[in-house]
Amino acid sequence: MHSFDITDPDTYIEMEAWERLRSIIDPELHVNIIDLGLVYTIRANSTVRMLVVVMTLSSPSCPVGEAILQGVANCLEARFVDYKTDVQLTWEPAWGFDNITEEGKKQLWG
Amino acid sequence: MNMITKQHPELYPIVRAHYLASAVCFVLIGVLFFFASADFAGHYFQPKLLAITHLAALGWVTMVIFGAAYQLVPVILETGLSGYRLPWLSFVAFLSGLVLLVCSFWRFEPGLCMQGGALLLLTGMLGFTTVIFLTGKRLKNKKENIHQEMINTSCIWLLATGVLGVLLVFNLRYAFLPQDHLQFLRLHAHMGMGGWFLLLVIGVSSKLVPMFLVSRKQNLWLLDWVYYLLNGGLLAFVIDTYLEGINNRTYLIALLPTAAFIIYFIYLIQCYRSRMKRRLDLPMMYTMLSFILLLAALLIQPLIINAHVQNTAQGIALTKLYGLLVLMGWLSLLILGQAFKTLPFLVWLKIYGPGTGKEPTPLPSDLYSQKLLVIQGIAFTGFILSMITMALSGLAAPARIASGCLLLTALCYLLNLTRVLTHKKTTGHA
Repeated sequence: MHSFDITDPDTYIEMEAWERLRSIIDPELHVNIIDLGLVYTIRANSTVRMLVVVMTLSSPSCPVGEAILQGVANCLEARFVDYKTDVQLTWEPAWGFDNITEEGKKQLWG
Repeated sequence: MNMITKQHPELYPIVRAHYLASAVCFVLIGVLFFFASADFAGHYFQPKLLAITHLAALGWVTMVIFGAAYQLVPVILETGLSGYRLPWLSFVAFLSGLVLLVCSFWRFEPGLCMQGGALLLLTGMLGFTTVIFLTGKRLKNKKENIHQEMINTSCIWLLATGVLGVLLVFNLRYAFLPQDHLQFLRLHAHMGMGGWFLLLVIGVSSKLVPMFLVSRKQNLWLLDWVYYLLNGGLLAFVIDTYLEGINNRTYLIALLPTAAFIIYFIYLIQCYRSRMKRRLDLPMMYTMLSFILLLAALLIQPLIINAHVQNTAQGIALTKLYGLLVLMGWLSLLILGQAFKTLPFLVWLKIYGPGTGKEPTPLPSDLYSQKLLVIQGIAFTGFILSMITMALSGLAAPARIASGCLLLTALCYLLNLTRVLTHKKTTGHA
């Protein structure tokens, strides 16, 4: 779970970015990427106006992987217009079912 | 940034051409089925049934499998397709060969047209197999998995089926094969159905079904058993039937592929029971139901062997039912479901992929019509029921009902497919 530091103004940007990314839906599972546990970290740096997202995909061959990564960049660039967004893909740790939040599980089972 | 498998822009037109050509063949089958409904009462080895069977096996099923494989093999093997020119060459050779072969079967003219058609079809198969093998060679981690082994082996069976098919076509003219033509036809059909269709479908679906259902449990070691039992059974059947024909040993041999399928059924059930996505959409429901039709076909096998060993007339009707259940039942329902699981993604990625996250977009499942999919399912159920009645009773009336239902199914499918392929960009959920 991401941390929240009330004394750090960048935290508010990060928190909003987390919420914004809930609008990116996996087109097959119909669950947003935050509840699927695909996003690992979001770091905002207001000094250099930079947002760095570290995330993964369910597999390297995920057919919609490219669209999801593009969607993350598009979504954040549309909201934080004066920030540069860097979406970094990682395979470590690999995504697993345990990454899915309780809310995500509820939506899948829904 | 780590790399991911991206969709190549040249992939879409290749896949689209295969899906469309296959759907047109499906409609043609519906039409030809009507004109040949009286012939279904007789023996399966006759011109019109040969034409329809090859149109179904090659034009409807193999064509869509080629298209789907070009789309899915890169996903399954986690690497890009080896090239984009060879699939086109393969498509042109395969389609022109199909037209020649089916027309010459329908009129039964075993001359140059039929021979040229068979050779062109084999060329198309060779092209496809080359693409798949070269794609496998590009594997990033070089470690073969069971899915890849199944896909590669199924391609070998496809080529073997094609080579035997070419020999059978030439045999109609020059009669050089050492044994009865029907004996080889039996081998040709089983190599195609078991080695090509079944092995490939298991190889691909064993990866896709748990992916679509979000299954926690995937006992991949079960698939090793499926692989060896199925291939062992097929090899044993081909060798034994070639040497001795259908005999008492065939019962034992038939147990091997049946056991393979039962194990695969267990694998599917485990995937289904451990799924995290509760609700099955219609395409997945059709997919799961299609395997029940295959199970029904396999249950008929001992009766067919018995009819052949005892030399009773029932064998012909049962063989027709078996062939119809596999080709027009299992494989058709599988395609009718899976086409709407895979193709909408390709179209969605092309239209909405670059703009995701900027504005609300429809989901891939919004690209096809649910209503048409329901009508298609009802018409297909009517087709299956009347087809079973027809095969068992030998009457022409159920054959006419079956052809009507089949044509309606095919038209719904073609219409829905066209709807997906001609989708125009919209915003928000459809």
